[in-house]
Amino acid sequence: MKGLKIKKLSKAMNGLKIVEQVTANFLPGRITALIGPNGAGKTTLFHLITSELKVDKGEIVYGDETITNLPPYLVARKGVGRLFQDIRVFGNMTAFENVATACYGPCFETPWFPFFNLKRMKSINNDIRERAFHWLNFVDLAEKKDHPAASLSYGQQKLLAIARLLAGGFSLLLLDEPTAGLNPVMIKNVLRLLEKIITEDRSKTVILVEHNMGVVNEVADWVYFMNEGRIAFFGRTDHVLGDKEVREIYLGL
Amino acid sequence: MNYVLHLLIMIGIYLILSYGLNLVVGFGGLLSLCHAVFYGIGAYTGTLLMIKAGLPFLPAIFLGMVITGLFALIVGLPALRFRGDSFVLVTLGFQMIVFTILYNWIDLTRGPYGIPGIPRPVIAGVEVTELYQYFILVSLFLVVIVAILFVVCRSPFGLALKALRDDEMAAEGLGKSPVHLFLYAFVISGMVASLAGGLYATYVTYIDPTSFTLDESIFLLAILLVGGTGNMIGPLVGTVFMILLPEALRFLGLPDTVAPNVRQMIYGLTLITLMFLRPQGIAGEFKLR
Repeated sequence: MKGLKIKKLSKAMNGLKIVEQVTANFLPGRITALIGPNGAGKTTLFHLITSELKVDKGEIVYGDETITNLPPYLVARKGVGRLFQDIRVFGNMTAFENVATACYGPCFETPWFPFFNLKRMKSINNDIRERAFHWLNFVDLAEKKDHPAASLSYGQQKLLAIARLLAGGFSLLLLDEPTAGLNPVMIKNVLRLLEKIITEDRSKTVILVEHNMGVVNEVADWVYFMNEGRIAFFGRTDHVLGDKEVREIYLGL
Repeated sequence: MNYVLHLLIMIGIYLILSYGLNLVVGFGGLLSLCHAVFYGIGAYTGTLLMIKAGLPFLPAIFLGMVITGLFALIVGLPALRFRGDSFVLVTLGFQMIVFTILYNWIDLTRGPYGIPGIPRPVIAGVEVTELYQYFILVSLFLVVIVAILFVVCRSPFGLALKALRDDEMAAEGLGKSPVHLFLYAFVISGMVASLAGGLYATYVTYIDPTSFTLDESIFLLAILLVGGTGNMIGPLVGTVFMILLPEALRFLGLPDTVAPNVRQMIYGLTLITLMFLRPQGIAGEFKLR
């Protein structure tokens, strides 16, 4: 059971403090939401966790390992997976290839691997194909398997990115607005998916950046409210969403 | 007949070059402007190992590939810290440096005088001298190289490389290491070019640095742009087209005084038209940025 601990994390860019002394704890088996106005530093916090941006000060600990400022691919190999706000599917690859490439671990990805494992290649590829189809089915995209990802609709690309993320077998999922731009039916699907992920595997930790309060209310157990780079409020979902300050600053009620 | 065989041999050598470059450009999405350098280093190391160290053809070629691979590693380490335009410029810089070295290190390379009298390959006691023999030799190497590259490109490695090409940030987020994967691709592509260099040197039996200029690197890149990249058909189409087009233009019956210039102009115009009609190349899957 690995949890994510963030200790006094700070990041400034061009002299502007974007994340300021953020300390937070994310528990396994729970969905924690990160809410706050635009520019509050939520996505930057994700960038810092995955090392897309360098941490100025502070520490990020996943399980019992410090992952602060590791190269992004190593952070990913520790089990940290991310759904990007701007989706980022591999546009020239088919939907199937998008998911399949997430299934292969680094030990398969040397140029000489197939030559030293001639006999095993077939069973390895079959195994990966099966897993990739499982996740494509999971998000209902099986019939689009041979379409280039770029030709899929926005919602389908998002589902594909989710399938790719799940196929990667990550234990910590950072989801940046998974429901933005989806129609109500799709949103329901994604919500059901999220609940399925967390109930099927209690060791997974899910962190969600979300502007849709209906979604947050429905799936999140805990909520961090960020404002101007700081954690302004933290608590159980109903507690935070009911708070007077949060309602004024963010919800405009 | 000899003319056709000669063209086929040149197409074979250029196919080896373009398939190697395809790994970096088509699968990695990196525009490299120094492929002719690896071609040249392969030609020179192969030749020098045969002439100065007295090695037979095959060991010389293979050792040349290893040495070129090391060169590619040395270039790749700094170059692959850059992407996009910066990467193009770094490889351009390397192209200039190596050409200058080949041109000026007279003691080793004889510089502009070139190295004449390169021995013909001897394989299993048979000296390859006739054109058709050479055609068979090049074809054999071509088949082996294409088979290897086919497996490499279809492997999980090839898939990860394509993922990095399409979106590096997302691929890295899946645990793909850009440094390692790009470096593998770069070194393999360099080694394959080196093999082509060794074949070229022993085929024409004379090399000088002007065969390995920036023009040559641009020509190789143009083959991929015309043919299309990211699959196994593009380089084939591109190579055949780019080598046969200037040959075909010879038969236009232009007046001798203007023929070379007009041919060049038609050549350029054809390329421009093609880019308008099919920016992803004749058999390409995607458009290079």
